[in-house]
Amino acid sequence: MNQFKSFQQLVKLSLVFFIVFTVNIFSQDAANGKKLFKSNCAACHKLDKKLVGPALKGITEKRDKEWLHKWIKDNQALIKSGDALAKQVFEENNKMPMTPFPQLSDKDIDDILAYVEGKGVKKQTTATTGTVNPLVKKGKKIFKTNCAACHKLDKKLVGPALKGITEKRDHEWLKKWIKDNNALRQSGDKLAQQVFEENGKLPMTPFPQLSDEDLEALLAYMKVGDVKPVVKQNTGAQTSSKKVSTAWMSWVVVFALLLLFIYLLFINKNTFLKIMAIIAIILIGTYILFDSLMGIDVNQGYQPIQPIAFSHKVHAGDNKIDCQYCHSSAKHSRTSGVPSANVCMNCHKSISEYTGNGTETEEELQFYTKEIQKIYDAVGWDPENVKYIENYDTKPIVWTRVHNLADFAYYNHSQHVTVAGLQCQQCHGPVETFDDMKQFSPLTMGWCLDCHKTKELNFDNKYYEKIHKQLSEKYGVEKVTVADMGGKECGKCHY
Amino acid sequence: MASNKKYWTSVVELKDSSIVEKLSKSEFQEEIPVDEFLGDKDSLEKSATTRRDFLKYVGFTTAAASLAACEGPVIKTIPYVIKPDNVIPGVADYYASVIADGYDFANVLVKVRDGRPIKIQPNKDVKKHNTTNARVLASVLSLYDNNRLRHPLENGKQTDFKSLDAKVVAKLNEINANGGKIIILTGTLASPSAEKVIADFKAKYPTTEHVVYDAVSESAALDAFEQTYGERALPNYDFSKTEVVVSVGADFQADWQGGGFANDFAKTRVPKNGKMSKHIQFESNLSLTGANADKRYALKPSEQKFALINLYNAVTGANLPSKKTPQDAAIKKAAQALKAANGNAVVVTGIQDKNAQLLALAINSYLQSNVIDVVNTKNIRQGNDAKVAQLLKDMKAGKVDAIITHQVNPVYTLGKDFTDGLKKTKLSVAFALANDETAKNAQFVQTVPHALESWGDVSIEKGQYSLMQPTINKLFTSRQFEEALLSWSGNNVKYYDYIKANSTNYLNGKSFNKALEVGAVSVPVENADVKINEINLSEAASSLAKTKSGKIELAVYTKVGLGDGKQANNPWLQELPDPITRTSWDNYLLLSRADAESLGLKNWTVDNGALNGNLANVTVDGVTLKDVPVYIQPGQANGTVGIALGYGRTEGMQKEMMVGVNAYPFANKTGHEVKIEKVGGEHKFACVQLQHTMMGRDEITNETSLSAFINKPKEEWNPAPKFSLEHKEVSIDEADLWEKFDDTIGHRFNLSIDLATCTGCAACVIACHAENNVPVVGKREIRVSRDMHWLRIDRYYTSDMTEEKGKEEGIFGSGEYFNAQIQPQDQPEVSFQPVMCQHCNHAPCESVCPVAATSHGRQGQNQMAYNRCVGTRYCANNCPYRVRRFNWFKYAKNSEFNFNMNNDLGRMVLNPDVVVRSRGVMEKCSMCIQMTQATILEAKKENRQVNVGEFETACVNACTTGAMKFGDVNNPKEEVTHLQKDDRTFKLLEFIGTKPNVLYQLKIRNDKA
Repeated sequence: MNQFKSFQQLVKLSLVFFIVFTVNIFSQDAANGKKLFKSNCAACHKLDKKLVGPALKGITEKRDKEWLHKWIKDNQALIKSGDALAKQVFEENNKMPMTPFPQLSDKDIDDILAYVEGKGVKKQTTATTGTVNPLVKKGKKIFKTNCAACHKLDKKLVGPALKGITEKRDHEWLKKWIKDNNALRQSGDKLAQQVFEENGKLPMTPFPQLSDEDLEALLAYMKVGDVKPVVKQNTGAQTSSKKVSTAWMSWVVVFALLLLFIYLLFINKNTFLKIMAIIAIILIGTYILFDSLMGIDVNQGYQPIQPIAFSHKVHAGDNKIDCQYCHSSAKHSRTSGVPSANVCMNCHKSISEYTGNGTETEEELQFYTKEIQKIYDAVGWDPENVKYIENYDTKPIVWTRVHNLADFAYYNHSQHVTVAGLQCQQCHGPVETFDDMKQFSPLTMGWCLDCHKTKELNFDNKYYEKIHKQLSEKYGVEKVTVADMGGKECGKCHY
Repeated sequence: MASNKKYWTSVVELKDSSIVEKLSKSEFQEEIPVDEFLGDKDSLEKSATTRRDFLKYVGFTTAAASLAACEGPVIKTIPYVIKPDNVIPGVADYYASVIADGYDFANVLVKVRDGRPIKIQPNKDVKKHNTTNARVLASVLSLYDNNRLRHPLENGKQTDFKSLDAKVVAKLNEINANGGKIIILTGTLASPSAEKVIADFKAKYPTTEHVVYDAVSESAALDAFEQTYGERALPNYDFSKTEVVVSVGADFQADWQGGGFANDFAKTRVPKNGKMSKHIQFESNLSLTGANADKRYALKPSEQKFALINLYNAVTGANLPSKKTPQDAAIKKAAQALKAANGNAVVVTGIQDKNAQLLALAINSYLQSNVIDVVNTKNIRQGNDAKVAQLLKDMKAGKVDAIITHQVNPVYTLGKDFTDGLKKTKLSVAFALANDETAKNAQFVQTVPHALESWGDVSIEKGQYSLMQPTINKLFTSRQFEEALLSWSGNNVKYYDYIKANSTNYLNGKSFNKALEVGAVSVPVENADVKINEINLSEAASSLAKTKSGKIELAVYTKVGLGDGKQANNPWLQELPDPITRTSWDNYLLLSRADAESLGLKNWTVDNGALNGNLANVTVDGVTLKDVPVYIQPGQANGTVGIALGYGRTEGMQKEMMVGVNAYPFANKTGHEVKIEKVGGEHKFACVQLQHTMMGRDEITNETSLSAFINKPKEEWNPAPKFSLEHKEVSIDEADLWEKFDDTIGHRFNLSIDLATCTGCAACVIACHAENNVPVVGKREIRVSRDMHWLRIDRYYTSDMTEEKGKEEGIFGSGEYFNAQIQPQDQPEVSFQPVMCQHCNHAPCESVCPVAATSHGRQGQNQMAYNRCVGTRYCANNCPYRVRRFNWFKYAKNSEFNFNMNNDLGRMVLNPDVVVRSRGVMEKCSMCIQMTQATILEAKKENRQVNVGEFETACVNACTTGAMKFGDVNNPKEEVTHLQKDDRTFKLLEFIGTKPNVLYQLKIRNDKA
């Protein structure tokens, strides 16, 4: 009876642990609020310090939530409405009006407040657009697709810098020039001829396809330039991330288990339980040992520091460059190939500085721009004069390999990319979200085989036609996996 | 009976036993301070760290340290800065080129992976000279020779080309102004542009003379051809037209007159419509060609000369003066066969005597042979012995002021005569790859690039032009011979431009770039009427007949491994077992059994299974080679000893490669009397096959006669094994213990080897080395049978003792019978059998592996997972073919095995698609699974089926005679599919039921008169 009771207790305890674990797993980190705070508030506020505006930590305790909502959305209106508290805050903070954020939804503000408060909030995706005139925005888009190949706003590229051109030249003239500069010149326009000659007699591509509306947008953009959504002065805003650590829960579990075992082994007098405990300890110990031994040389998550802080997120994510544009040998060869520096230069001839996606601080922007300079150092490109330096002693870039397969395992990219048509992400993970490249998959043999066992062959390939016909005639098989074709044989990868 | 005797261990003990007593009691003079380091018992027990604790700490630290060391290394990767458009990392490119080093000439394809040439293959897109021997294939490793000279030298000190040029040109001008003699001594260049360069040089320095010197000379043949046909060149032969060939000392299936004839001849060796060629060989040493002959007769070198006259007399009915030979009956029969062949017959000879060569030409002319071609002559041997002799005289007399050497190593090959003369010259420039013997003795050493780093053009035969192109940037500071000469004659043009301009003279309007892509062009040769000069044959014959016979005569030869010794620093070639003697890393004096017995010389096997032999001093014409090891060779003509050239080099070499004795002092002394004196000491051979006969086990390799092949049913000459099942005779398929599996879907690879055309040339062995990163293990390991060759070529001799004879003598089954069987015949028939992993469908190795490291693939390949192998070697013990090789050591990056895999340069030749095996694992032939997989992948990528004949292995690709075929037997169009059902096909040890995927076609000897 006694035994049974103890056993019941054990079961109960296990249940408790199970629940604790589940809670642990399901708890989420604050993320959206932090993101919003960073993109909207961090320019003027810090959590724990006064910046332009006051420190915001504990603000939710000090102020009413509804009032905060109103204040954030449009503090000027609130002040004008005669709210006493608002006036007081305005005066306390040197009468500096705060930027209104009408674009933030109630949910967004809740998230921000939760973040400020230090609470975990469910994830949500929100666009972080600055207050930009839609005309300018459109203009930017047109500029990027049509003009950016030869022009920059602030620098000479092939053509002259275009910022402030609207002040220098007549509006209508500019429109004509853009639409068809050749015609304009031939019409005998003196200014047009002068511009042509000033710029090394390089004729500009005419853009007759652009409508007047487009041109207006374009000129508006040239006038305003790139509006950085938030002007950031302080950059060290390392907003102390209140990532709520849940590791303590695991420790609690471990500690509780430890206590349980100590109790069972030393205090408890029941031999059966003692034996059970010992068996449990042996099993757990063996499992941990086995697991750690099996983990040797499995470098999942390996994320070495690279000589250039190349961000796949910026290239493959933000700019949506196809993986195989740079890793062009993946479809032909065994190796996917680290792209040679001349591939980088295809784009970086004209992109000499990082402009970001609007969420970066000035320092980050500068940092990435410096990284681009490293490519120029390698190939000998002079960004000022927009040409290669002659007789430059090129310096190859020494990258650190992330994915290192053992010599005895043969892997061929082209088999998987060209023949099987796999997405790169299948093995390499969501690379387009990685700033620093890391090994996403374990790259163990078991991992390879898991896929080989389930992946079906693509019978559109004429190579498989005969085999498929034979198989279906002989065995009535319609679907065949890689393993069925011998993809599990040792010699297919080990030679 | 017990003894009362007392024994002393020393005189001291007897005289003064007290000292001994004292010493025996206290062995240590001083008390060992045990307490000092262990302390007394009390303190030891009180100590915080007990001995047990200490051991625990040691154990823990070791474990922790080794766990910490489990972290993977950081690997760097460096992409191109600017990637060339046509290079894709990881994809091999093939460049057509030509190898021409003065000894070997062949059109080749160079496989280049990521900028590194890693393999040489025959260029089959070119119709002629498209076979590659072992040396040509191995020359890719010579490119990465760690002993290559890195920069030019002046009197042994590093210099640069600028200062070298200034000094050399100044001296040349001075010599030229004084009318001094300038000699350019080269090997056979056979290059139209290089010859033009030399002509340009002559125009600038008119006192220049170009002397061509072949270390292994064919001067006699050239002289004879010149006398007969008015042109100094070698006749060409189209052996594919042969019905009868009589060879007197010509190793024409190997390196006779530059080689390259084996492929054509092989076409006649498989019976078609009951006909095949007849090959009769008269020779002294057992050559590769002799081993493959239908009938081989041993003759001394002097007797060969008489045999040739007798053959002439027998063919033409003339009565030139001659002497008798022991094989005159055979010569008469051979003459009849020659005459009966209606012009499809040819006589070839390797005798280095102009008169003998004249006779051979005369016989061929009389026979109206359409095998010999005197129009499209060959250019690959141009050496002129008379000029070289004159040069040596002039040098001795101090008449030569400047000497420039290229592609020759005369200090090594000509010896003291040349070295002394060299000291008398005012200027000596050696063009050299390494700091070899000649370079060491020259004032200036001009480093040259390897053929794989060079531009060039070569005309192997009249009307055939091959282009050489660099496949890698120059590894070291080097400059081509031609470019240097151009620069010294005041022309600073690049040699590439020079060739391109000059090529218009011979390309016949064809595009240079196209020619470069294909590798060679063929230009029609004007078929001018061949004029035959009147030759006084009786004079030639009488001077031949005057040759004195010696008691023991010398016969110098070259081996398929080292050839003339240019690549002596190439470990692949050094380790390549000689096809006949099966011995690597050595040259030796070949002796017949009878001669060895009379001289008291022996070979014997020692306890570790290796071969040892006596040493002898060998004297010819007063020149003595000391301590030459002796090897007893079945088939050696009695009264003849053989010795191979190319060994015994000492400069510009790695220590490990300085093996053998230099036989060049004997180079042109074939036929001279030899004195042999046994000396003390013994020599350790590295011989991989000590079992010479098959001991009556005809299941191993099989051969039959042409008459049996035609007249008798297959069951008689190639019986399938039979088994008794329930008292009935059944075939092997019915007596199978194993379950069958369906292997009709997908590919199933079979390798087929035709023993009728396999000559044993060993090109496949080197190709396998290059493709599969097979390590070189060195002489010591070979000696203890730890060779790593995935592919070996077994050589069997016939024995006098047959089953019938044994029964007749009543000794069948006794020990006496077996002892007799072990002995090969004195004049045996020889058969070769390449053996690699047989890829058994029922593989004995697979079932005994405790960790399933070796398993069978669906495509028929027996696969070996090196990373899974734990090295029990059960598989090797259970393999009936002995094809598995165990890595007893780590052969890469190990200074104990200081060969190419131990230096960065040498490792560049490694094939990146094949892993370098580590210590403790088994390895073996994989049927080039990396190549079959690559072929399949290529088809998949191109969205098509695999084409017929597309599958290849390295050995099949390299096979010089096409004896090896490879393909998918599930494709009815493949050649191997038909070969499977060929009557000549058998499988090695088929009766044991392993069901190999390797097929053999039995050899057929033409026994027709």
